[in-house]
Amino acid sequence: MFEDIIDNYIRFLTSLTVDHFIRLFWFFIFFEFIRYFLIEFVILNLWKLSKWLNRDVYEKARQEFLFENPLVSIIIPGKNEGKHIYKLINSLKEQTYTNIQIIVIDDGSDDETPTIGRDLQKAGLIDLFIRNEIRGGKASAANFGLRFTKGKFIIHMDADCSYDRDAIEKIIIPFYLDKEVGGVGGNVMVRNYDESLVTSLQAIEYYDTISIGRAVTSYLGIYRIISGAFGAFRADVLDQMKGWDIGPGLDGDITVKIRKLGYKIKFEQDAVCLTSVPNTFKKLTKQRLRWDKSLIRFRVRKHKDVLFPNQAFKFANFIAFVENITYNLILNFKWYFYLVDMVVNYPSMVLNILITNILLYTFTNFTKFVIYSLYRERKNAPYSFFLIYIPGMVFYFGYYLRIVRTIAYLQEFFFKLSYKDPWNPEKTSVHAKRLKL
Amino acid sequence: MKPVFVLKGININDPFVNRLTDGTIFSLEQIEFIIPTVEKILTKVNDLKFTNSISFEAQMIEKMISFMYTCDVYDLEPVPYVYSGINYSFPILSVNFSQTEEHSVLDILDIAEREGIFESDYYDRIYLCSNCSNGHLTYREVCPKCGSSNSTTEDIVHHFPCGYVGPISDFKNEIDDQLDCPKCDKRLRHIGVDYDKPSILHECKNCSHKFQDYNVKAKCLNCLTDNGVEMLKGREIRKYRLTKKGELAAINGFVSTSKDIEEIIGTVKFDTFKTMLKYEIERLRQTEGSSNICAIHITNPSQVYSKIGSEVQKGLLKDLVRVIRSSIRSSDAITFQSSSTIVLSMNEIPTRIAKRILEEIIVMLKRLMNTAFKNMEVNFETNVMPLDYKISPELHIQQLTKDFK
Ligand SMILES: [Zn+2]
Ligand SMILES: [Zn+2]
Ligand SMILES: [Zn+2]
Repeated sequence: MFEDIIDNYIRFLTSLTVDHFIRLFWFFIFFEFIRYFLIEFVILNLWKLSKWLNRDVYEKARQEFLFENPLVSIIIPGKNEGKHIYKLINSLKEQTYTNIQIIVIDDGSDDETPTIGRDLQKAGLIDLFIRNEIRGGKASAANFGLRFTKGKFIIHMDADCSYDRDAIEKIIIPFYLDKEVGGVGGNVMVRNYDESLVTSLQAIEYYDTISIGRAVTSYLGIYRIISGAFGAFRADVLDQMKGWDIGPGLDGDITVKIRKLGYKIKFEQDAVCLTSVPNTFKKLTKQRLRWDKSLIRFRVRKHKDVLFPNQAFKFANFIAFVENITYNLILNFKWYFYLVDMVVNYPSMVLNILITNILLYTFTNFTKFVIYSLYRERKNAPYSFFLIYIPGMVFYFGYYLRIVRTIAYLQEFFFKLSYKDPWNPEKTSVHAKRLKL
Repeated sequence: MKPVFVLKGININDPFVNRLTDGTIFSLEQIEFIIPTVEKILTKVNDLKFTNSISFEAQMIEKMISFMYTCDVYDLEPVPYVYSGINYSFPILSVNFSQTEEHSVLDILDIAEREGIFESDYYDRIYLCSNCSNGHLTYREVCPKCGSSNSTTEDIVHHFPCGYVGPISDFKNEIDDQLDCPKCDKRLRHIGVDYDKPSILHECKNCSHKFQDYNVKAKCLNCLTDNGVEMLKGREIRKYRLTKKGELAAINGFVSTSKDIEEIIGTVKFDTFKTMLKYEIERLRQTEGSSNICAIHITNPSQVYSKIGSEVQKGLLKDLVRVIRSSIRSSDAITFQSSSTIVLSMNEIPTRIAKRILEEIIVMLKRLMNTAFKNMEVNFETNVMPLDYKISPELHIQQLTKDFK
């Protein structure tokens, strides 16, 4: 049986012509290979080159920043995050940049978080601990914290993350490189990469897709989401927008809002934050459903005006939007189109096509991982650790995440389920839905 | 000591007067009714022997218990009293102190209890100024930054549709009582439906600091120190009862206090001794071995102490300790359980040897007494017991000294 499959497959390979190959694997070639490898690779090189050419400019910006020594306010909103917070505060005490104001906002915790927060404040480890007795959701907690910030820049952090020693310095420098920058996203890496198969796969995803993807889009000026785990903003820009709007997906939302005001968004690969990712498929599914739903909600629903020319119209915003929609939403459904195309037109070859696809993806993933390693200066784990997991990426990325994404899109399109997400208190979701936010 | 009666036309309710006098008469004709009381008091006064005490504390204790004995008062109860520096008064003792020194009353009562003069029960707890130990404090909620008590409080409003969070003044307009959101311009309609008030915010009028948690501070009305409440000295107020030992001390004279003898070189504090004992017992639980605890008791302390002045008393105790020290190892500890009882440890030797060492010590002590104080007899009692890891340090000491007179 198994030998038959091998025989059959070898025969299939030997009979494969170039035309035939393109016809059978068009999806891989045009979308995955060209977009996510070839183009990405070219841009990565351009980016590295420009970084090298601009190294003096960068150093000048850094000097300007350190000379000015502006106050940087850090807001850390969260519910029941008390237990994580020592680790975070520890990493903040180690920062190379020290003119910081740390504000922890407790969004109606029902555990020992208030005690921990007050202790930290009393001990002088944080500047301010404030609390909403009644939970109001992440956006309201962040907005509450924002009131107390005094800094020229605001950094939003998640309580379950910790930060590289130079993370704050690195994430602020881009504001001095280009005065039109309104927000900078930090580079999120996986702290618990060796906890389980799921976390290892996510670690690879964060390396290759998220981090590299963001570096590329940032270079092109179409970087989309400043991660809530580590994002820096100009205080005056946040003030113009009066803070965050109701989430989930408020990270992406605020990024679009900053763009609409005419500011640039940058990604800073060297500003590193470590986070703990979900350690089971169940938890991961829940997280990704939420993320993917917010794409529909914020891109297609709330901010669809970027598609239509008006006074706030910016070409880069338009491209960012189109790129995002194409490669997430449309691509996702194109893949099903490809699947149907194969099943209908080449029913006898489906198995061989599947095997080839898997091999192609795996080969690309290996190549990507090895080549991209050259473009990452900071790593938190030996790359060799991940090599054995790379074959799993086909299934993780190509099948698992795709299915989750499909479910999320369908749920959100037809049922607007994100408004029912317990991530927000129901009292706020009701309003978001009514106002089509 | 003389009995005192008050002659007055009306009843008096002042706690001091009632407790410090022996009774009230309303006219001189009533004198004959108090004669038996007067006689009884005078007989009792005749029982009393007074001694020269080492310390002020001991003198105070002696004065207090003598008074209690003569008037047949066995209870010493705290009286809430606004003119007291610590808000509670023990009239027969507190009367000796000015308001600003009244906290010393508590120290003296502690000493008396430690000496076995009193038994006590919990009554209340008070807090005293960390600087001057005065109890007249005024508690205020103050700004955590500048300590000012001048602040205003506002509700925080969360507008659900846009996520705006801010003090209610952000939402107020100048025209009417409506509330409008400064972020999205919508009107607030119904609490719990489109907005709520998740917390409050205080703003300091002095330094403009905004905060949620006040600091509580206690300002001392005596010395004006602004105490953080965690800095205040908490003290227990207790109800006291004169013990049999206390009664005897009233008759025979009260001599010294362990507070003075704690300062004698070569000894450790009684509490420290108990801690060391605890560790030794713990150690014995894990290892084989024999350790002992010994006691030397002066059976006639008031006879001894009443004949000599306070400086000499101290010198006597110092000499006792020096002699004992010379006979035991440097790792062993000496303490005073009271002014007449010395407790010491003799670790890691058989009990029989410990007994012999103790006997030698007594011989030396007697020799010392004879040369230092001619025609004064000092009598000693002793006891030795091996440590037993099954019983507590307190029980060891209790058993060791239970047979002493
Ligand atoms: Zn103040
Ligand atoms: Zn609003
Ligand atoms: Zn004071």
